[in-house]
Amino acid sequence: MIAFEHVGKRYGGRFEALANLDFRVRRGEMVFLTGHSGAGKSSLLRLIMRLERPSRGRILVAGHDIDRLHPSQVPFYRRQIGVVFQDHQLLYDRSIYHNVALPLEIQGTEPREAARRVRAALDKVGLLHREQALPIELSGGEQQRVGIARAVVNKPALLLADEPTGNLDPQLSADIMALFEDFHRIGTTVMVASHDLALIARLRHRTLRLHQGRLVADEEAA
Amino acid sequence: MTRDATTARGARHHRATPGSRWRGWLRHHRAMALDSARRLLRHPLGSLLTMLAIAIALVLPAGLWLSLDGARLLDAELDESATLTAYLETRIDAAEAGRVEQALAASPGVASTRLITAAEGMAEFQQVLGLDEALARLPANPLPASVVIRPEDPDPAAVEVLAREIAEVPGVDEVRLDLAWLERLRHLAELGHRVGLGLAVLFGLGVLLVVGNTIRLAVENRRQEIEVVTLIGATHAFVRRPFLYSGAWYGLGGGLLAWGLLTLGSDWLAAPVSALAASYGASFRLPGLGLTGSAMLLGCSTLLGWLGAWIAVSRHLAQIRPR
Ligand SMILES: Nc1ncnc2c1ncn2[C@@H]1O[C@H](COP(=O)(O)OP(=O)(O)O)[C@@H](O)[C@H]1O
Ligand SMILES: [Mg+2]
Repeated sequence: MIAFEHVGKRYGGRFEALANLDFRVRRGEMVFLTGHSGAGKSSLLRLIMRLERPSRGRILVAGHDIDRLHPSQVPFYRRQIGVVFQDHQLLYDRSIYHNVALPLEIQGTEPREAARRVRAALDKVGLLHREQALPIELSGGEQQRVGIARAVVNKPALLLADEPTGNLDPQLSADIMALFEDFHRIGTTVMVASHDLALIARLRHRTLRLHQGRLVADEEAA
Repeated sequence: MTRDATTARGARHHRATPGSRWRGWLRHHRAMALDSARRLLRHPLGSLLTMLAIAIALVLPAGLWLSLDGARLLDAELDESATLTAYLETRIDAAEAGRVEQALAASPGVASTRLITAAEGMAEFQQVLGLDEALARLPANPLPASVVIRPEDPDPAAVEVLAREIAEVPGVDEVRLDLAWLERLRHLAELGHRVGLGLAVLFGLGVLLVVGNTIRLAVENRRQEIEVVTLIGATHAFVRRPFLYSGAWYGLGGGLLAWGLLTLGSDWLAAPVSALAASYGASFRLPGLGLTGSAMLLGCSTLLGWLGAWIAVSRHLAQIRPR
């Protein structure tokens, strides 16, 4: 699903945020990405989303070299990836329902089909009863679940999450991770960046560890 | 097994038919048109001020254009009155004057003629100048008979040629034509046209700036939203759309206000303008915008608003990169 081939990323021409990354993620696999703050986890995810472009090497997603996408194709590429952010990135002036519906609105999905899928996604994260609420009225954990519902409403083949439990207490973090495992179970390729080592260790999935921009460990689930 | 099934299902969702994509596109246009109108109405005073600024920028060139339109009508009327006067020799009596008139009427390039006999000339003279007594004391009528000639071609050069030809006709003493002020009026109208065009361009730029600035602030206010939708796969066209509609609404609102101001203004000026025209012996009314004029004004203002928004959003989209 994802192949990094000797990928390097420099910011501002000098600073090397990522160096010589070489790994593959199979379709349907669930992978954790760990490392200290500043190790390059976010940079790696941003490369996959084509928010940044590699300074060297190639990145293949579903067999396509994403560096060769024409700018006009990039939005359509991004629609195939669900992304969850640490700070949720919800729109605070519209309801939970409309936040989750946003990717479908962008694609121009028929309203009836969109409603069906939004409700299914909200149901999956246990927030169907809050669809008319505003994000402000929800707790941090609930907001993160809205972010997850928005990421999966499109049924993406690839789900990326950048520190999705960063601000949550251990119980809520475990709940969120369980959601990602559910999507993994139905065949979605999932990649989660996190530095919650205790939680990751318990979940037993393949883990990529970055240190100062280098891949220092690639441990298969025990 | 399950994996393959899921990917197949996922793939199906990305394959929208052209028909459904077209309907989705239309739906988004409709939604954004309404949404941007609602946003404008949410800040009625600010929106009104922007529209007023646009209206003021539109009123001046549109008003000038209208007056020039009026001048063109006046010009046409003056063309009608582009006449030559052939003064006959004083020795010619009324009967012979009639013969000369017929000769003139038969000349090429002459549309029509009207004879003013010496006696008629005197009567008109007395009436205009109110010199009854002084003239009454004259021993004989000193005025010659004259023939007013309407040329077929009102073009000044052609009229001049015709005047030279008529001067050769036996019995004609002198030909008068007053072309100089007609020429002057034409030049003035031409000048007005150019000034009007220059003003229209300048004030059109003004509208672009007003809308552009307003939209720039709107983009700044919705920066986070733009970043988020870009992250999840919105095209530039999608991001631009609500702002383009805002711009178009501002333009349309400004155009409507300008239309109102112009209508009020021409009503207000109507009386003095026609009085002034009457004092020159012309009948001149400020023309209204009419249906085409109104449609043009609203169309141009809407287009300018849309364009101003397009420029502002495009410039800013280049700067906004999702974090
Ligand atoms: N846009 C950027 N410009 C310059 N340096 C950056 C940029 N983004 C990240 N970096 C640097 O790259 C390194 C890796 O950052 P990041 O990928 O955010 O790490 P992590 O997510 O693991 O904390 C850090 O040293 C960070 O300062
Ligand atoms: Mg990070």
